[in-house]
Amino acid sequence: MIAINDTLNVRREPPRWRSFSKAFWDATREKRLLLQYDPTSDRYQHFPRACSIVTGSPALEWREVAGKGEIFSYTIARRARPPFAGHEPFFIVLVTLDQGVNVMANMVKCSLEDMKIGLRVKPYWAQLSNGTHLLMFQPDR
Amino acid sequence: MSMHDAAIVGYAETKIVEKSERDIWELQAEILDSLLQRTGYEKGEIDGMITSLSMTAAGNPFWSQAVADQLSLELDFCQSIDIGGCSPAAAVVRASLAIDAGLCSTVLCLFADTQASDSSRERPRSIVPEWQQPYGYLGPPAAFGLLSQRYEHQFGLDYTALGKLAVTQRGHAVLNDLACEKLRKPITVEDYLNSRMIADPIRLLDSVMTCDGANGLLVTSKKGAERRGLTKCAVPVGYGERTNYRASESVVDVTETGHLPAGERAFAQAGLKPKDIASFHPYDDFIIAIMIQLEMLGFCKQGHGCDFIKAHDFTHTGDLPLNTGGGQISGGQIGLASGGTNLVEAVRQLFGEGGRRQVGNTGNALVTGIGGIPYGRNWMSSAVMILKADA
Repeated sequence: MIAINDTLNVRREPPRWRSFSKAFWDATREKRLLLQYDPTSDRYQHFPRACSIVTGSPALEWREVAGKGEIFSYTIARRARPPFAGHEPFFIVLVTLDQGVNVMANMVKCSLEDMKIGLRVKPYWAQLSNGTHLLMFQPDR
Repeated sequence: MSMHDAAIVGYAETKIVEKSERDIWELQAEILDSLLQRTGYEKGEIDGMITSLSMTAAGNPFWSQAVADQLSLELDFCQSIDIGGCSPAAAVVRASLAIDAGLCSTVLCLFADTQASDSSRERPRSIVPEWQQPYGYLGPPAAFGLLSQRYEHQFGLDYTALGKLAVTQRGHAVLNDLACEKLRKPITVEDYLNSRMIADPIRLLDSVMTCDGANGLLVTSKKGAERRGLTKCAVPVGYGERTNYRASESVVDVTETGHLPAGERAFAQAGLKPKDIASFHPYDDFIIAIMIQLEMLGFCKQGHGCDFIKAHDFTHTGDLPLNTGGGQISGGQIGLASGGTNLVEAVRQLFGEGGRRQVGNTGNALVTGIGGIPYGRNWMSSAVMILKADA
Protein backbone atom coordinates (compact mmCIF):
# COMPACT_ATOMS: atom_id res chain seq x y z
CA MET A 1 0.00 0.00 0.00
CA ILE A 2 1.50 3.34 -1.01
CA ALA A 3 2.03 6.13 1.51
CA ILE A 4 -0.02 9.22 0.75
CA ASN A 5 1.49 12.63 1.45
CA ASP A 6 -0.69 15.00 3.51
CA THR A 7 0.83 18.00 1.61
CA LEU A 8 1.21 19.99 4.85
CA ASN A 9 4.86 20.65 3.99
CA VAL A 10 4.01 22.16 0.62
CA ARG A 11 4.87 25.87 0.60
CA ARG A 12 1.67 27.23 -0.86
CA GLU A 13 1.33 30.87 -1.82
CA PRO A 14 -1.80 32.42 -0.31
CA PRO A 15 -4.29 32.83 -3.15
CA ARG A 16 -5.46 36.27 -4.22
CA TRP A 17 -9.09 36.74 -3.39
CA ARG A 18 -11.74 38.49 -5.45
CA SER A 19 -13.87 41.44 -4.36
CA PHE A 20 -16.71 38.99 -3.66
CA SER A 21 -14.65 36.21 -2.02
CA LYS A 22 -12.76 38.31 0.55
CA ALA A 23 -15.21 37.46 3.34
CA PHE A 24 -14.49 33.76 2.82
CA TRP A 25 -10.75 34.22 3.19
CA ASP A 26 -11.07 36.66 6.10
CA ALA A 27 -13.08 34.08 8.07
CA THR A 28 -10.40 31.47 7.52
CA ARG A 29 -8.07 33.56 9.74
CA GLU A 30 -10.20 32.26 12.63
CA LYS A 31 -10.62 28.83 11.02
CA ARG A 32 -14.25 29.58 10.32
CA LEU A 33 -15.88 28.26 7.14
CA LEU A 34 -18.34 30.57 5.42
CA LEU A 35 -20.55 29.49 2.56
CA GLN A 36 -22.59 31.73 0.33
CA TYR A 37 -26.30 31.30 0.90
CA ASP A 38 -29.07 32.43 -1.42
CA PRO A 39 -32.17 33.20 0.67
CA THR A 40 -34.45 33.32 -2.37
CA SER A 41 -33.74 29.79 -3.49
CA ASP A 42 -32.75 28.49 -0.03
CA ARG A 43 -29.52 27.05 -1.47
CA TYR A 44 -25.85 27.19 -0.58
CA GLN A 45 -23.16 27.54 -3.22
CA HIS A 46 -19.39 27.18 -3.47
CA PHE A 47 -16.95 28.45 -4.86
CA PRO A 48 -18.00 32.03 -3.98
CA ARG A 49 -19.48 33.92 -6.89
CA ALA A 50 -20.72 37.45 -7.45
CA CYS A 51 -24.28 36.24 -7.90
CA SER A 52 -26.63 33.38 -7.08
CA ILE A 53 -26.17 30.35 -9.31
CA VAL A 54 -29.95 29.87 -9.23
CA THR A 55 -31.43 33.35 -9.70
CA GLY A 56 -28.49 35.48 -10.81
CA SER A 57 -29.18 37.94 -7.99
CA PRO A 58 -26.24 39.44 -6.08
CA ALA A 59 -28.32 39.40 -2.85
CA LEU A 60 -26.36 36.62 -1.16
CA GLU A 61 -25.63 36.04 2.52
CA TRP A 62 -22.63 34.45 4.22
CA ARG A 63 -23.42 31.65 6.65
CA GLU A 64 -20.97 29.89 8.90
CA VAL A 65 -21.11 26.10 8.62
CA ALA A 66 -19.37 23.26 10.44
CA GLY A 67 -17.73 21.95 7.29
CA LYS A 68 -18.73 18.35 7.83
CA GLY A 69 -19.58 16.17 4.90
CA GLU A 70 -18.59 13.09 2.96
CA ILE A 71 -16.21 12.16 0.17
CA PHE A 72 -17.92 12.56 -3.22
CA SER A 73 -14.89 11.41 -5.18
CA TYR A 74 -11.11 11.34 -4.92
CA THR A 75 -8.02 10.94 -7.01
CA ILE A 76 -4.37 10.36 -6.17
CA ALA A 77 -2.16 12.93 -7.84
CA ARG A 78 1.01 11.15 -8.96
CA ARG A 79 2.40 14.13 -10.83
CA ALA A 80 2.35 17.77 -9.86
CA ARG A 81 3.80 21.15 -10.69
CA PRO A 82 5.69 23.27 -8.17
CA PRO A 83 5.19 23.78 -5.28
CA PHE A 84 3.59 20.32 -5.13
CA ALA A 85 6.28 18.60 -7.21
CA GLY A 86 8.15 16.15 -4.99
CA HIS A 87 5.20 15.81 -2.61
CA GLU A 88 3.36 13.19 -4.69
CA PRO A 89 1.36 11.08 -4.25
CA PHE A 90 -1.37 13.07 -2.52
CA PHE A 91 -5.16 13.06 -2.43
CA ILE A 92 -7.32 15.56 -4.24
CA VAL A 93 -10.88 15.13 -3.05
CA LEU A 94 -14.33 16.46 -3.73
CA VAL A 95 -16.35 16.66 -0.51
CA THR A 96 -20.12 17.05 -0.44
CA LEU A 97 -20.77 19.26 2.59
CA ASP A 98 -23.95 18.62 4.56
CA GLN A 99 -25.33 21.86 3.10
CA GLY A 100 -25.28 20.31 -0.39
CA VAL A 101 -22.23 21.83 -2.05
CA ASN A 102 -19.14 20.14 -3.44
CA VAL A 103 -15.77 21.47 -2.27
CA MET A 104 -12.33 20.58 -3.62
CA ALA A 105 -9.48 20.03 -1.16
CA ASN A 106 -6.55 17.91 -0.03
CA MET A 107 -6.88 15.26 2.65
CA VAL A 108 -4.82 14.83 5.82
CA LYS A 109 -4.59 12.02 8.39
CA CYS A 110 -6.03 9.59 5.86
CA SER A 111 -4.41 6.45 4.44
CA LEU A 112 -5.28 4.86 1.14
CA GLU A 113 -6.99 2.09 3.12
CA ASP A 114 -9.22 4.60 4.90
CA MET A 115 -10.17 6.49 1.77
CA LYS A 116 -13.50 5.68 0.18
CA ILE A 117 -16.40 7.46 -1.41
CA GLY A 118 -18.90 8.19 1.34
CA LEU A 119 -16.24 8.58 4.08
CA ARG A 120 -17.38 11.17 6.65
CA VAL A 121 -14.97 14.10 6.94
CA LYS A 122 -14.47 17.31 8.92
CA PRO A 123 -12.30 20.37 8.24
CA TYR A 124 -8.59 20.63 8.78
CA TRP A 125 -7.19 24.14 8.50
CA ALA A 126 -3.69 24.52 7.05
CA GLN A 127 -2.01 27.81 7.88
CA LEU A 128 -0.91 30.11 5.05
CA SER A 129 1.79 32.77 5.33
CA ASN A 130 -0.62 35.74 5.36
CA GLY A 131 -2.57 34.52 8.39
CA THR A 132 -5.39 32.96 6.42
CA HIS A 133 -5.95 29.21 6.39
CA LEU A 134 -6.57 26.76 3.59
CA LEU A 135 -9.55 24.44 3.96
CA MET A 136 -8.55 20.78 3.89
CA PHE A 137 -10.31 17.74 5.27
CA GLN A 138 -9.63 14.84 7.65
CA PRO A 139 -11.65 11.73 8.52
CA ASP A 140 -14.44 12.45 11.04
CA ARG A 141 -13.86 9.47 13.28
CA MET B 1 -32.80 24.97 -41.67
CA SER B 2 -30.13 27.44 -42.59
CA MET B 3 -27.26 25.32 -41.31
CA HIS B 4 -28.04 22.71 -43.98
CA ASP B 5 -27.37 25.26 -46.71
CA ALA B 6 -23.68 25.42 -45.87
CA ALA B 7 -21.01 22.98 -46.94
CA ILE B 8 -17.49 22.15 -45.89
CA VAL B 9 -15.67 22.06 -49.23
CA GLY B 10 -12.13 21.50 -48.07
CA TYR B 11 -10.04 20.32 -45.15
CA ALA B 12 -6.36 20.59 -44.31
CA GLU B 13 -4.11 19.32 -41.58
CA THR B 14 -0.44 19.59 -40.71
CA LYS B 15 1.65 16.79 -39.33
CA ILE B 16 1.23 16.64 -35.56
CA VAL B 17 4.60 17.01 -33.83
CA GLU B 18 5.91 16.85 -30.28
CA LYS B 19 7.39 20.33 -30.53
CA SER B 20 7.05 22.54 -33.57
CA GLU B 21 10.10 24.36 -34.86
CA ARG B 22 7.78 26.45 -36.97
CA ASP B 23 5.82 29.36 -35.54
CA ILE B 24 2.04 29.14 -35.17
CA TRP B 25 1.51 31.57 -38.07
CA GLU B 26 3.61 29.40 -40.34
CA LEU B 27 1.39 26.43 -39.51
CA GLN B 28 -1.67 28.55 -40.22
CA ALA B 29 -0.21 29.65 -43.54
CA GLU B 30 0.27 25.98 -44.48
CA ILE B 31 -3.40 25.31 -43.75
CA LEU B 32 -4.52 28.33 -45.76
CA ASP B 33 -2.36 27.37 -48.74
CA SER B 34 -3.50 23.77 -48.60
CA LEU B 35 -7.18 24.78 -48.55
CA LEU B 36 -6.74 27.17 -51.48
CA GLN B 37 -4.87 24.55 -53.53
CA ARG B 38 -7.47 21.95 -52.82
CA THR B 39 -10.61 23.98 -53.50
CA GLY B 40 -9.38 26.33 -56.22
CA TYR B 41 -10.46 29.37 -54.25
CA GLU B 42 -8.25 32.46 -54.26
CA LYS B 43 -7.26 34.14 -51.04
CA GLY B 44 -9.28 37.24 -51.90
CA GLU B 45 -12.47 35.19 -52.07
CA ILE B 46 -12.25 34.31 -48.41
CA ASP B 47 -14.34 36.96 -46.69
CA GLY B 48 -14.86 35.34 -43.31
CA MET B 49 -12.62 33.74 -40.71
CA ILE B 50 -13.21 32.03 -37.40
CA THR B 51 -10.14 30.94 -35.48
CA SER B 52 -9.83 28.98 -32.29
CA LEU B 53 -7.78 30.55 -29.55
CA SER B 54 -4.39 29.07 -28.78
CA MET B 55 -2.31 28.58 -25.67
CA THR B 56 0.50 30.20 -27.63
CA ALA B 57 -1.49 33.40 -27.95
CA ALA B 58 -3.15 33.22 -24.53
CA GLY B 59 -3.52 36.74 -23.25
CA ASN B 60 -3.73 38.33 -26.68
CA PRO B 61 -7.19 39.94 -26.81
CA PHE B 62 -6.73 40.72 -30.52
CA TRP B 63 -6.06 37.17 -31.68
CA SER B 64 -8.32 36.85 -34.72
CA GLN B 65 -7.14 40.23 -35.97
CA ALA B 66 -3.52 39.21 -35.51
CA VAL B 67 -4.14 36.09 -37.58
CA ALA B 68 -5.94 38.06 -40.29
CA ASP B 69 -3.01 40.48 -40.39
CA GLN B 70 -0.37 37.75 -40.60
CA LEU B 71 -2.24 35.86 -43.33
CA SER B 72 -3.23 39.10 -45.06
CA LEU B 73 -6.92 38.29 -45.16
CA GLU B 74 -9.46 41.07 -45.86
CA LEU B 75 -12.60 40.06 -44.05
CA ASP B 76 -16.25 40.99 -43.58
CA PHE B 77 -16.54 38.59 -40.64
CA CYS B 78 -13.66 37.99 -38.23
CA GLN B 79 -13.76 36.38 -34.83
CA SER B 80 -12.08 33.92 -32.54
CA ILE B 81 -13.94 31.29 -30.62
CA ASP B 82 -13.07 30.24 -27.11
CA ILE B 83 -15.05 27.21 -25.99
CA GLY B 84 -12.01 24.96 -25.85
CA GLY B 85 -12.31 21.62 -27.59
CA CYS B 86 -15.82 22.46 -28.81
CA SER B 87 -14.49 25.40 -30.81
CA PRO B 88 -13.89 23.66 -34.16
CA ALA B 89 -17.39 22.15 -34.49
CA ALA B 90 -18.88 25.35 -33.12
CA ALA B 91 -16.89 27.35 -35.66
CA VAL B 92 -18.42 25.40 -38.57
CA VAL B 93 -21.93 26.13 -37.30
CA ARG B 94 -21.21 29.79 -36.69
CA ALA B 95 -19.67 30.04 -40.16
CA SER B 96 -22.81 28.47 -41.63
CA LEU B 97 -25.03 30.94 -39.81
CA ALA B 98 -22.91 33.91 -40.85
CA ILE B 99 -23.09 32.80 -44.48
CA ASP B 100 -26.85 32.28 -44.26
CA ALA B 101 -27.29 35.71 -42.68
CA GLY B 102 -25.48 37.27 -45.62
CA LEU B 103 -22.55 38.55 -43.56
CA CYS B 104 -20.03 36.75 -45.75
CA SER B 105 -19.85 33.94 -48.28
CA THR B 106 -16.71 31.89 -47.69
CA VAL B 107 -15.31 31.27 -44.24
CA LEU B 108 -11.90 29.96 -43.26
CA CYS B 109 -12.21 27.94 -40.04
CA LEU B 110 -8.68 27.85 -38.71
CA PHE B 111 -7.43 25.87 -35.73
CA ALA B 112 -3.79 26.02 -34.69
CA ASP B 113 -1.80 25.79 -31.50
CA THR B 114 1.85 25.40 -30.57
CA GLN B 115 1.39 25.03 -26.84
CA ALA B 116 4.06 22.34 -26.53
CA SER B 117 6.80 24.63 -27.79
CA ASP B 118 5.40 28.08 -27.07
CA SER B 119 2.80 28.58 -24.36
CA SER B 120 2.07 31.86 -22.62
CA ARG B 121 -0.40 31.59 -19.81
CA GLU B 122 -0.52 35.17 -18.67
CA ARG B 123 -2.60 35.46 -15.52
CA PRO B 124 -5.70 33.66 -16.70
CA ARG B 125 -8.71 35.23 -15.05
CA SER B 126 -10.36 32.07 -13.84
CA ILE B 127 -11.16 30.08 -10.74
CA VAL B 128 -7.94 28.09 -10.95
CA PRO B 129 -5.52 30.22 -8.85
CA GLU B 130 -7.95 30.73 -5.99
CA TRP B 131 -9.78 27.41 -5.69
CA GLN B 132 -7.81 24.68 -7.46
CA GLN B 133 -4.10 25.54 -7.56
CA PRO B 134 -3.79 25.58 -3.73
CA TYR B 135 -4.60 21.86 -3.83
CA GLY B 136 -2.04 20.85 -6.43
CA TYR B 137 -4.79 20.25 -8.94
CA LEU B 138 -3.15 19.51 -12.28
CA GLY B 139 -6.27 20.28 -14.27
CA PRO B 140 -7.56 17.65 -16.68
CA PRO B 141 -5.88 14.48 -15.27
CA ALA B 142 -7.17 15.19 -11.74
CA ALA B 143 -10.60 16.12 -13.07
CA PHE B 144 -10.85 12.84 -14.96
CA GLY B 145 -9.44 10.94 -11.99
CA LEU B 146 -12.26 12.30 -9.84
CA LEU B 147 -14.79 11.56 -12.60
CA SER B 148 -13.53 8.00 -13.14
CA GLN B 149 -13.53 7.17 -9.43
CA ARG B 150 -17.10 8.38 -9.17
CA TYR B 151 -18.14 6.43 -12.28
CA GLU B 152 -16.61 3.28 -10.84
CA HIS B 153 -18.48 3.88 -7.56
CA GLN B 154 -21.82 4.31 -9.32
CA PHE B 155 -21.64 1.73 -12.10
CA GLY B 156 -18.42 -0.24 -11.86
CA LEU B 157 -15.67 0.15 -14.42
CA ASP B 158 -14.04 -2.55 -16.56
CA TYR B 159 -10.59 -1.24 -17.41
CA THR B 160 -10.09 -3.87 -20.10
CA ALA B 161 -12.97 -2.24 -22.00
CA LEU B 162 -11.27 1.16 -21.79
CA GLY B 163 -8.05 -0.55 -22.86
CA LYS B 164 -9.80 -1.89 -25.95
CA LEU B 165 -10.58 1.69 -27.04
CA ALA B 166 -6.98 2.74 -26.42
CA VAL B 167 -5.70 -0.17 -28.52
CA THR B 168 -8.16 0.55 -31.36
CA GLN B 169 -7.22 4.22 -31.53
CA ARG B 170 -3.54 3.36 -31.50
CA GLY B 171 -4.06 1.01 -34.41
CA HIS B 172 -5.63 3.86 -36.35
CA ALA B 173 -2.71 6.20 -35.57
CA VAL B 174 -0.35 3.61 -37.04
CA LEU B 175 -2.29 4.02 -40.31
CA ASN B 176 -2.20 7.84 -40.12
CA ASP B 177 0.96 9.46 -41.48
CA LEU B 178 0.01 12.80 -39.89
CA ALA B 179 -0.22 11.40 -36.35
CA CYS B 180 2.62 12.19 -33.97
CA GLU B 181 5.44 9.72 -34.73
CA LYS B 182 6.13 8.96 -31.08
CA LEU B 183 2.63 7.52 -30.77
CA ARG B 184 2.58 5.41 -33.94
CA LYS B 185 3.50 2.14 -32.25
CA PRO B 186 0.90 -0.55 -31.59
CA ILE B 187 -0.08 -1.22 -27.98
CA THR B 188 -1.93 -4.04 -26.21
CA VAL B 189 -4.58 -4.02 -23.51
CA GLU B 190 -1.86 -5.18 -21.11
CA ASP B 191 0.27 -2.17 -22.06
CA TYR B 192 -2.72 0.02 -21.24
CA LEU B 193 -3.41 -1.66 -17.89
CA ASN B 194 0.27 -1.55 -16.91
CA SER B 195 0.92 2.05 -17.92
CA ARG B 196 1.77 4.23 -14.94
CA MET B 197 -0.85 6.05 -12.93
CA ILE B 198 -1.12 9.82 -13.41
CA ALA B 199 -4.16 10.61 -11.24
CA ASP B 200 -5.73 7.34 -10.10
CA PRO B 201 -7.39 5.66 -11.85
CA ILE B 202 -6.23 7.70 -14.88
CA ARG B 203 -3.24 6.03 -16.50
CA LEU B 204 -0.67 7.39 -18.92
CA LEU B 205 -2.36 5.56 -21.82
CA ASP B 206 -5.72 7.13 -20.88
CA SER B 207 -4.26 10.55 -21.50
CA VAL B 208 -3.36 12.85 -24.35
CA MET B 209 0.16 14.04 -25.03
CA THR B 210 0.61 17.76 -25.59
CA CYS B 211 1.69 18.42 -29.18
CA ASP B 212 1.79 21.16 -31.79
CA GLY B 213 -0.03 21.39 -35.10
CA ALA B 214 -2.86 22.94 -37.06
CA ASN B 215 -5.87 22.10 -39.17
CA GLY B 216 -8.70 23.89 -40.87
CA LEU B 217 -11.79 23.81 -43.04
CA LEU B 218 -13.27 25.98 -45.76
CA VAL B 219 -17.01 26.57 -45.44
CA THR B 220 -19.21 28.12 -48.08
CA SER B 221 -22.84 27.94 -49.24
CA LYS B 222 -23.96 24.73 -50.85
CA LYS B 223 -25.05 26.71 -53.91
CA GLY B 224 -21.64 28.37 -54.08
CA ALA B 225 -19.97 24.98 -53.95
CA GLU B 226 -22.20 23.66 -56.74
CA ARG B 227 -21.45 26.68 -58.94
CA ARG B 228 -17.75 25.93 -58.67
CA GLY B 229 -18.20 22.25 -59.34
CA LEU B 230 -16.95 21.20 -55.92
CA THR B 231 -18.59 17.80 -55.67
CA LYS B 232 -17.08 16.65 -52.41
CA CYS B 233 -18.94 18.32 -49.57
CA ALA B 234 -19.70 17.68 -45.93
CA VAL B 235 -22.87 19.31 -44.68
CA PRO B 236 -23.74 19.94 -41.02
CA VAL B 237 -27.22 18.44 -40.68
CA GLY B 238 -27.46 18.38 -36.91
CA TYR B 239 -25.81 20.33 -34.13
CA GLY B 240 -26.18 20.73 -30.39
CA GLU B 241 -24.06 22.62 -27.90
CA ARG B 242 -24.34 23.01 -24.15
CA THR B 243 -22.12 25.07 -21.87
CA ASN B 244 -22.22 24.74 -18.08
CA TYR B 245 -24.67 21.84 -17.92
CA ARG B 246 -26.72 22.00 -14.69
CA ALA B 247 -25.17 25.38 -13.90
CA SER B 248 -27.57 26.13 -11.07
CA GLU B 249 -26.82 22.98 -9.08
CA SER B 250 -24.09 22.71 -6.48
CA VAL B 251 -23.68 18.92 -6.54
CA VAL B 252 -23.97 17.31 -9.96
CA ASP B 253 -23.66 13.73 -11.20
CA VAL B 254 -20.30 13.99 -12.93
CA THR B 255 -21.09 10.93 -15.06
CA GLU B 256 -23.82 12.85 -16.90
CA THR B 257 -22.72 15.55 -19.33
CA GLY B 258 -23.98 18.28 -21.62
CA HIS B 259 -23.72 15.81 -24.49
CA LEU B 260 -27.08 14.47 -23.34
CA PRO B 261 -29.11 17.55 -24.34
CA ALA B 262 -26.69 18.51 -27.13
CA GLY B 263 -26.93 15.03 -28.64
CA GLU B 264 -30.72 14.94 -28.46
CA ARG B 265 -30.85 18.21 -30.37
CA ALA B 266 -28.31 17.14 -33.00
CA PHE B 267 -29.98 13.78 -33.68
CA ALA B 268 -33.45 15.36 -33.88
CA GLN B 269 -32.23 17.95 -36.40
CA ALA B 270 -30.54 15.29 -38.49
CA GLY B 271 -33.48 12.89 -38.29
CA LEU B 272 -31.08 10.11 -37.32
CA LYS B 273 -30.66 7.66 -34.45
CA PRO B 274 -27.38 6.41 -32.96
CA LYS B 275 -27.76 3.11 -34.86
CA ASP B 276 -27.69 5.11 -38.12
CA ILE B 277 -24.24 6.58 -37.43
CA ALA B 278 -21.65 5.45 -39.97
CA SER B 279 -18.54 6.62 -38.14
CA PHE B 280 -17.98 8.29 -34.77
CA HIS B 281 -15.27 10.87 -34.05
CA PRO B 282 -15.60 11.77 -30.38
CA TYR B 283 -13.39 14.33 -28.67
CA ASP B 284 -10.91 12.21 -26.74
CA ASP B 285 -8.81 13.91 -24.10
CA PHE B 286 -9.14 10.82 -21.89
CA ILE B 287 -10.36 7.34 -22.85
CA ILE B 288 -13.24 7.39 -20.38
CA ALA B 289 -14.61 10.52 -22.08
CA ILE B 290 -15.29 8.39 -25.17
CA MET B 291 -17.25 5.86 -23.15
CA ILE B 292 -19.30 8.52 -21.38
CA GLN B 293 -20.13 10.12 -24.73
CA LEU B 294 -21.31 6.74 -26.07
CA GLU B 295 -23.71 6.68 -23.13
CA MET B 296 -24.83 10.29 -23.34
CA LEU B 297 -25.44 10.12 -27.10
CA GLY B 298 -27.69 7.10 -26.73
CA PHE B 299 -25.52 4.34 -28.17
CA CYS B 300 -26.16 2.58 -24.87
CA LYS B 301 -27.70 3.34 -21.49
CA GLN B 302 -25.84 5.30 -18.80
CA GLY B 303 -23.61 2.91 -16.88
CA HIS B 304 -23.51 0.35 -19.72
CA GLY B 305 -20.59 1.82 -21.65
CA CYS B 306 -18.13 -0.96 -20.88
CA ASP B 307 -20.53 -3.65 -22.08
CA PHE B 308 -21.19 -1.68 -25.26
CA ILE B 309 -17.47 -1.30 -25.92
CA LYS B 310 -16.88 -5.02 -25.51
CA ALA B 311 -19.74 -5.85 -27.90
CA HIS B 312 -18.61 -3.64 -30.79
CA ASP B 313 -15.71 -3.29 -33.21
CA PHE B 314 -14.44 0.28 -33.45
CA THR B 315 -11.74 -0.29 -36.06
CA HIS B 316 -12.14 1.39 -39.45
CA THR B 317 -13.58 -1.85 -40.82
CA GLY B 318 -15.78 -2.48 -37.75
CA ASP B 319 -19.46 -1.87 -37.08
CA LEU B 320 -18.83 1.54 -35.48
CA PRO B 321 -15.54 3.01 -36.76
CA LEU B 322 -14.22 5.41 -34.10
CA ASN B 323 -11.56 8.13 -34.32
CA THR B 324 -10.13 6.54 -37.42
CA GLY B 325 -7.07 8.79 -37.46
CA GLY B 326 -6.10 7.74 -33.95
CA GLY B 327 -7.94 10.59 -32.25
CA GLN B 328 -6.02 12.91 -29.97
CA ILE B 329 -4.85 10.26 -27.52
CA SER B 330 -2.95 8.38 -30.21
CA GLY B 331 -2.49 11.23 -32.68
CA GLY B 332 -1.36 13.96 -30.28
CA GLN B 333 -3.31 16.82 -28.72
CA ILE B 334 -2.67 20.11 -30.45
CA GLY B 335 -3.78 22.40 -27.65
CA LEU B 336 -6.90 24.45 -28.26
CA ALA B 337 -6.96 23.31 -31.91
CA SER B 338 -7.35 19.69 -30.90
CA GLY B 339 -11.08 19.39 -31.55
CA GLY B 340 -10.21 19.98 -35.18
CA THR B 341 -8.31 16.69 -35.28
CA ASN B 342 -11.50 14.65 -34.74
CA LEU B 343 -13.53 16.98 -37.00
CA VAL B 344 -11.11 16.98 -39.93
CA GLU B 345 -10.87 13.18 -39.79
CA ALA B 346 -14.67 12.95 -40.04
CA VAL B 347 -14.65 15.21 -43.12
CA ARG B 348 -11.79 13.23 -44.66
CA GLN B 349 -13.81 10.01 -44.26
CA LEU B 350 -16.93 11.58 -45.78
CA PHE B 351 -14.83 12.71 -48.75
CA GLY B 352 -13.69 9.08 -49.16
CA GLU B 353 -10.07 10.08 -48.67
CA GLY B 354 -9.22 7.92 -45.67
CA GLY B 355 -6.72 5.84 -47.63
CA ARG B 356 -5.60 2.79 -45.69
CA ARG B 357 -8.09 3.60 -42.94
CA GLN B 358 -11.08 4.49 -45.13
CA VAL B 359 -14.43 3.46 -43.61
CA GLY B 360 -16.95 1.59 -45.74
CA ASN B 361 -20.01 3.73 -45.02
CA THR B 362 -19.51 7.41 -45.84
CA GLY B 363 -23.16 8.39 -45.48
CA ASN B 364 -22.62 10.40 -42.31
CA ALA B 365 -20.25 11.04 -39.44
CA LEU B 366 -20.76 12.07 -35.84
CA VAL B 367 -18.26 14.50 -34.29
CA THR B 368 -18.14 15.86 -30.76
CA GLY B 369 -16.32 18.44 -28.69
CA ILE B 370 -15.40 18.77 -25.04
CA GLY B 371 -14.13 22.06 -23.69
CA GLY B 372 -12.92 23.47 -20.41
CA ILE B 373 -12.49 22.02 -16.93
CA PRO B 374 -14.80 23.53 -14.30
CA TYR B 375 -14.90 23.21 -10.50
CA GLY B 376 -16.28 19.89 -9.26
CA ARG B 377 -18.01 19.02 -12.52
CA ASN B 378 -16.99 17.14 -15.66
CA TRP B 379 -16.44 19.69 -18.42
CA MET B 380 -17.67 23.16 -19.32
CA SER B 381 -18.84 22.75 -22.92
CA SER B 382 -20.20 19.81 -24.91
CA ALA B 383 -20.76 19.91 -28.67
CA VAL B 384 -22.32 17.34 -31.00
CA MET B 385 -22.30 17.65 -34.78
CA ILE B 386 -23.65 15.30 -37.42
CA LEU B 387 -22.24 15.69 -40.90
CA LYS B 388 -23.53 14.17 -44.11
CA ALA B 389 -21.62 13.77 -47.32
CA ASP B 390 -23.10 16.00 -50.00
CA ALA B 391 -26.51 16.15 -48.27
